[in-house]
Amino acid sequence: MKNLLNMIIIVLLTYLLNSCSSSNKDSRDEILYWCSNNNDEIKFAKLSTDEWNKNNPNDQVKYQAVPEGRSSEEIILAAVVGNTTPDIYSNMWQGDVEAYAQAGVLVALDSLNGFLDFLYERCDSSVVEEIKSLDGHIYQIPWKINPIMLIYNINLINELELNGPPKTYSEVFNASQKFQKDFDNDGYVDRWFGYSEVEVTWWQRFFDFYPLYLAASGGAPLVKNNRAAFNNKYAIEVFSFLQEMYNKNYFSKEKLSARQDVFLAGVTATRFVGPWEIAHAEKFKPKGFEYEYNFMPVPDDHIGPVYTYGDPKNIVIFKTCKDPQAAWNYVKTMISDEGDLKLLSLTNQLPRRKKLNTNPFFSDYFLKNPKMKIFADQSEYVKGTDASPVLKEIFDLISQQYEACVVYGMKTPEQAINDAADAVNLLFLE
Amino acid sequence: MGSIAPENEIGNLTLMPKSLTLSSYSQMLDKIPIGGAFINSLIVASSITIGVLIFGSMIGYALSKLAFKGRDLIFYIIIFTMTLPFQITLIPQYIIMVKFGWIDTYLALIVPYLINALSIIMFRQYFKSIPDSLIDAARIDGCNELQIIFRILWPNSMPAIITIGIITFMASWNEVLWPLIVIRDESLMPMPQLVTLFAVGGRAESQLGVKLASAVMLALPIVVAYLFFQKYFIQSMASTGIKE
Amino acid sequence: MLVSPYLVHFFLFVAFPVAFSIVLTSHKWNIISPMEYTGLNNYIRLFNDKTFFKSIGNTLIFLVIHIPLQIIVALFLAEILNQKIKLRGAFRGAFFLPVIVSGVVVTILWQQLYGYDTGLLNRLLTGIGIAKVGWLTDPNIAMSSIALMATWKNVGLYIILFLVGLQTVPTQYYEAADLEGATHMQKFFKITLPMINPTIFMVVILSTIGGFSLFIEPYIMTGGGPLNSTVSAVLYIYKQGFFYYHMGYAATLGLFFAFIILAVVVIQKKFIEKDH
Repeated sequence: MKNLLNMIIIVLLTYLLNSCSSSNKDSRDEILYWCSNNNDEIKFAKLSTDEWNKNNPNDQVKYQAVPEGRSSEEIILAAVVGNTTPDIYSNMWQGDVEAYAQAGVLVALDSLNGFLDFLYERCDSSVVEEIKSLDGHIYQIPWKINPIMLIYNINLINELELNGPPKTYSEVFNASQKFQKDFDNDGYVDRWFGYSEVEVTWWQRFFDFYPLYLAASGGAPLVKNNRAAFNNKYAIEVFSFLQEMYNKNYFSKEKLSARQDVFLAGVTATRFVGPWEIAHAEKFKPKGFEYEYNFMPVPDDHIGPVYTYGDPKNIVIFKTCKDPQAAWNYVKTMISDEGDLKLLSLTNQLPRRKKLNTNPFFSDYFLKNPKMKIFADQSEYVKGTDASPVLKEIFDLISQQYEACVVYGMKTPEQAINDAADAVNLLFLE
Repeated sequence: MGSIAPENEIGNLTLMPKSLTLSSYSQMLDKIPIGGAFINSLIVASSITIGVLIFGSMIGYALSKLAFKGRDLIFYIIIFTMTLPFQITLIPQYIIMVKFGWIDTYLALIVPYLINALSIIMFRQYFKSIPDSLIDAARIDGCNELQIIFRILWPNSMPAIITIGIITFMASWNEVLWPLIVIRDESLMPMPQLVTLFAVGGRAESQLGVKLASAVMLALPIVVAYLFFQKYFIQSMASTGIKE
Repeated sequence: MLVSPYLVHFFLFVAFPVAFSIVLTSHKWNIISPMEYTGLNNYIRLFNDKTFFKSIGNTLIFLVIHIPLQIIVALFLAEILNQKIKLRGAFRGAFFLPVIVSGVVVTILWQQLYGYDTGLLNRLLTGIGIAKVGWLTDPNIAMSSIALMATWKNVGLYIILFLVGLQTVPTQYYEAADLEGATHMQKFFKITLPMINPTIFMVVILSTIGGFSLFIEPYIMTGGGPLNSTVSAVLYIYKQGFFYYHMGYAATLGLFFAFIILAVVVIQKKFIEKDH
C-alpha cells in the first residue's frame, strides 16, 4: 500500500512541476513578431516596428529575433509543439506552410479584412495560386525571394572567346570543354566549369536540380493533386544535362567546398547561387576579379522566359495571436512600398511583388545597386515550392535518384525520374 | 595495427598544429558556445551519476537484503529491461517528453537515465557479498533503511561505487543520440551534440581547423580525467564484462 | 518503499513507452496534427520500404565485418600483451583511450584520414604512387571504412576483456601441452580458444549490441551516403521520426528492428556459446 501511495505522490509531483513551467503567454498584450536572426533583418524589424508603434499606441508590436538553434524551422516546430508561437513570423519558408496549415496552427489570412485586395495588388494571379493551400485558403503572404541564378567569372569566360555567358545546355558543354584543364599533368583535372555539392541532402537540390527544372519547364510544378508531376521530359533533360556535366568532369564530384572559396579563386568559372553571394564576393574577391549574373541554362530547344527557384520566405500569423486583424495591419506596413524599399536597402533581398523591375518607386535603388537589377528582372519569373506537407521527403527521394543517376551514372535519367516519381507516389498513398 | 593506433593520434596531432593556431580556437569560441556546452555536459552527467548511484544502491539493497513480496518478479523485470533494445522506447519516450513539456530542459536529459538496470544489478551483486551481520547490527542500533544504505553500505562499497560512477559518468557524457532528439536550444546542448552539429552543419563554414578544434575540446575532459584515473577506468570496464 | 521510485520510473520510461509504441504503430502522427488511426498502413509501408531493409542490411554488413575483425585483432593483441613485454601498461592505456573518448571525436578525426582529396590516407597512397581510394565515396566500401574505424575505437575494451579471459586459463594445461611437444598454434587452437569461449561470446554480444546502435558515426561521417550504403537502421529510424516526423511509422520500424536484434542475439547464443 505504501508502495502505491508513493507512486501516486511522485506522479502528482511530476504533473505539478510540469504545469509550473508552462509559459505565461496569456499575460501578453502586445503583438509579438519574430524575425530571423540575420543582422540586417533585425535592423529592418526595429525600424519597421518603431515606426508602427509611434502611430499605433493601442497595438504595440514587439520584435524578437528567432531564438538560436540548429535551424529556424526547428525552432518554429518546437514553438508549435510547446504552444509558444509568436503572433507574426516573417521568415517562414514557403515549403513549410502547408504542414502547419493542415495542423491548424495558422490563421487563414483570406478571412481578414482587406487581405485579398492587398494580395492581388501585390502579386499576380500565378503567385496567388502558388501560395494557396490545398484546402483553398491562404495562410501566408509572400515577403521576399532570393532567386538562384548563374554567377560567372567575367574574365575567365572572356578567355574562352564565346558569345558571352552560356545560355543553353550545348553552350554550357562547349564552354566547359574549353575550360577544363589539367595544369600540372598529374592526371587529375584542376579546374571545372562549375560546382554543385554532390550531397544527397534534400535542400541541396534547390541549388542544382530544382532551379534548372523550373527554368526548363517554365515553372512547372513537382507535385500536383497529391501525385508526382515531374515525370516529364524537362526533369529528364535536367538529369541528363547534369549527368553529362559530372560524367565529363565539367562539374567536380569532389568536395570542393572543403577548400577555400573555389569560385573566387578561379578554380571554377560559374556557380548556381543567389544574390547573397554579392556581399560575400565584394568582401573577399581578389584584385581584378569581376563577376556578373545571368539566367539559368536551359535546354537548346527552350522558348519563353527562364524561370528559377526563388527560395521564398513568407509571413504568417499564428492562431495563438489574440488580434489577427491588428497583426495584419502591421504586416501591411512591412510590405508596403516604403516597407519593401527598406527591405531592399537594408538587406539586399528582393520583395516578392509585381513589376519590381519597372516600378519607378524602386528604380533609384537599382541604379545604386546595378548587380541586383538582373534579379529584379528575374523576379517576374520566379517560383517557390508546391503546397505539400511532405516536401522534404519529396526532395529527399529525388535526391536519392539524383545521386544514383547524375553522380554515379548507375541509371539513365528516364529510369531515375521514373523511380523518383514512383517513390513519391508511394508517399502519398497514406 | 597496434602501432598504428597511437600513431593515428600522433598523425592527427601533427596535422593539427599546422592548420590549428590559437586563432582556430578563438574562432571556434566565437562561433559556438562550447564553454556553455561543457557546463551542460557537466551538470547532466553529474546529476545522472549521482542519481544512479543513489537509486541504484537503494534498489540494489532492497533486492539483495530485504525480503518482500514480488522481489523476484521485480528482479526479473529489471533483467528483462536490460535486454530490451532502446530502439523501441526511443519514439514514445520522446513523445512523453513533449507531453510533459520537458523538451529543451535538463529534465529531459536527466530523468530517463536516473534509474539504470545495470547499476541496480551491480549493486545487488556487490551488496550480497556484504555480511548480513553488519546490517543486522546497524538495525539493532536503531538505524532505518536509508541510514543503513548510506552510512554502512556505501563506505564498504567503494570499489562498486567508483566503478558504477565512472561507467555512468562516461556513458552520459558521451551520449549524443538522445540530446539530438530532445534538445534544440543551443544554450542547453551538451558538448557531444554541439560538436556534432558544428561538424555536420554549415556553421564551421568548412574551416577544418575550427572543426578539429571543437573535436579536441570535446575529447579533452575525458582524456584529462583518464590520465588521472586510468587505473579505475580500466578496472571498471573490465568488471562489467566479468559480471555478465 | 525503497523500490517505488524504480516502479514509477519503470512504468514511465519502459512499460508505458513500449505499450505506447505498439499503439503508435497503427497510427499516423507528425506531432503537430492530431493522431490519425491508420490500421496496418505502417506495416504495409514497412514491407515495401526498400531503404529500410537496406539499412538493416547495412547494419548487418557492419556487424559481419566488425565482429570477426574485432575478435581477431583484440585477441591477437591481448596475446601479445599477455607476454611480459616492456611498457605493456602504457600500451594498454593507449589502446583504451579511444574507448572512452566520444564517438563524435573519433569520427571527426577519422574523417581527416578518409577524405578523398585531402585525407591523410589518400595523400600517403598517392605519395607512394597508388591511386586514391574512395573510402567514403565508394558505395561498396564506405560501410567497411566505418567498420574499420569502429574496430579501432573499441579494440581497447576487448583487449582488456580478453586479457582477463586469457589469465583464467590454468597454466597447467599449457605445461602439459608443452610436454607433449605441442606447437604454439596447436596450443592456441586446442587450449586457449575453447577455454575462453565465454569471453569470446561476451565480446560477440557486446559488439553486436553496439553495432545495432550504430548511429552517430554514419550521421557525422557520411550522412548515410553514398547511395544509402551507410544508413544504419537506427539512423533511418531517427530520420523517419525526427526529420520527417513520421512518428507512427518510425515506431513501427523500431519495433520491427527490436525483434531482429532479439533474433540475432538468440542465434548467436545458440551457435557461439558452448556449455562446458
